[in-house]
Amino acid sequence: MQKIFVFISSLIVCMFSVGSYAQKIKKPEPDLIPVFNGITIQGDIALVVSSLVSGGETFTYEASTQVDLKHKFFPILEIGYGGANKTSNNAINFKNSGLFERIGIDINLLSPKKDEKPTSNLFLAGIRLGMSGFPYSISNVIVTDDYWGKTQTLNYSNQTATKIWYELVLGVRVEVTRNIFMGWSVRTRTLINQDVTGVVAPWYIPGYGNNAENNWGFNYVLGYKFQILPKKNTLTIMQFDSINYQNKTTNNKPN
Amino acid sequence: MKSEAFYNHLTNNMKINPIIISFISILLLASCAIDEQCRQNKTVQLGATFYHITKNQTTGAINRTSLAIDSITIAGLMYDTVTNKYIKSDSVIYNKSKAKSNIYLPLHKFENASKYEVVFNNVIDTLTVLHTNINQYLSLECGCMIVHSIDTVLMTNNFKIDSIRIINHDVKTENAENIRIYK
Repeated sequence: MQKIFVFISSLIVCMFSVGSYAQKIKKPEPDLIPVFNGITIQGDIALVVSSLVSGGETFTYEASTQVDLKHKFFPILEIGYGGANKTSNNAINFKNSGLFERIGIDINLLSPKKDEKPTSNLFLAGIRLGMSGFPYSISNVIVTDDYWGKTQTLNYSNQTATKIWYELVLGVRVEVTRNIFMGWSVRTRTLINQDVTGVVAPWYIPGYGNNAENNWGFNYVLGYKFQILPKKNTLTIMQFDSINYQNKTTNNKPN
Repeated sequence: MKSEAFYNHLTNNMKINPIIISFISILLLASCAIDEQCRQNKTVQLGATFYHITKNQTTGAINRTSLAIDSITIAGLMYDTVTNKYIKSDSVIYNKSKAKSNIYLPLHKFENASKYEVVFNNVIDTLTVLHTNINQYLSLECGCMIVHSIDTVLMTNNFKIDSIRIINHDVKTENAENIRIYK
């Protein structure tokens, strides 16, 4: 019985000592940037221009929505519609159109200096996973038998394809005026499911570009950011700013 | 002002800026190198090689050596639907070619039998190749090519041919050995 009493007493003493030690550990500084900083809706201008310049040979229209998480992580969903109507030098015609989707995340490579409010401008690096399922047709494929002297025209209509690719993205976003953002990005694309040699394959993939193992893209976007800041977090930032201000004024006082 | 401050921040703090600019330049230059000309060879031909076989009388072993035909003339035979007969093509594939040990023949792209008149020195024979034609799509620039799979090879025997053997059924290139003709 005595032994049990000694054991319990020592346990209680231990608990109190651990508790008091834990109080001595320095608390981490409160994270002042809220988790959710708003959502940006943006449209691509460069693709509209290039679609107009190409004279209908290829076209892509694309919009995206991006969430600002802690001003560091930016999950993004890009949706668009693209296609092609291309006639090659040897008069073979390719036609397709379809929707494409890309999902991914950007990371802001700029980190704000200590005691500084983070800038709303961004330098982003990110990845995307893209997918497009679309119908296509290839017509007027002329095959000539030079020796035996016959010619046939082959048409491949009602073909379908589903393509998946990944992208590496690098770009900037600048707040040109309150909540209006502009920016550009370059991206390299790599096709995951490639075509089997000898099988009919699409010339153009919506959202990816020409059907090659690797491709690249350029985007120039214009967007609007919907700021949805919780009041609690706003208060925290204000309190932090006032503390900094007080500290600065105290430090600046002459002795 | 915000954007100016941002670019200043980039200029002052980002030492990798030249690397990024180089990366973008390379991408832009790469985009200019789109080649829309077809540079792929779409011609396929059946390759046949002539061999002379000798049998060692004592050991019974068969010895194979390359055989060069002194003079060979080959022309395609086309079926004439009016006369219901095969007529010789005006275009001759080999015309009295000397010392030929291998020949390359174009197969029909749209029919399953290709027939040739082969003149070995002054001896006339008929070579018939039965085959399947397969469309292979290449690209928008190149279109399609037709490759073949050999099923059967038949030959009349005025030149005293010993045997014919198919060693590669797939006719996908211009200069592969597909059949061996033994004399």
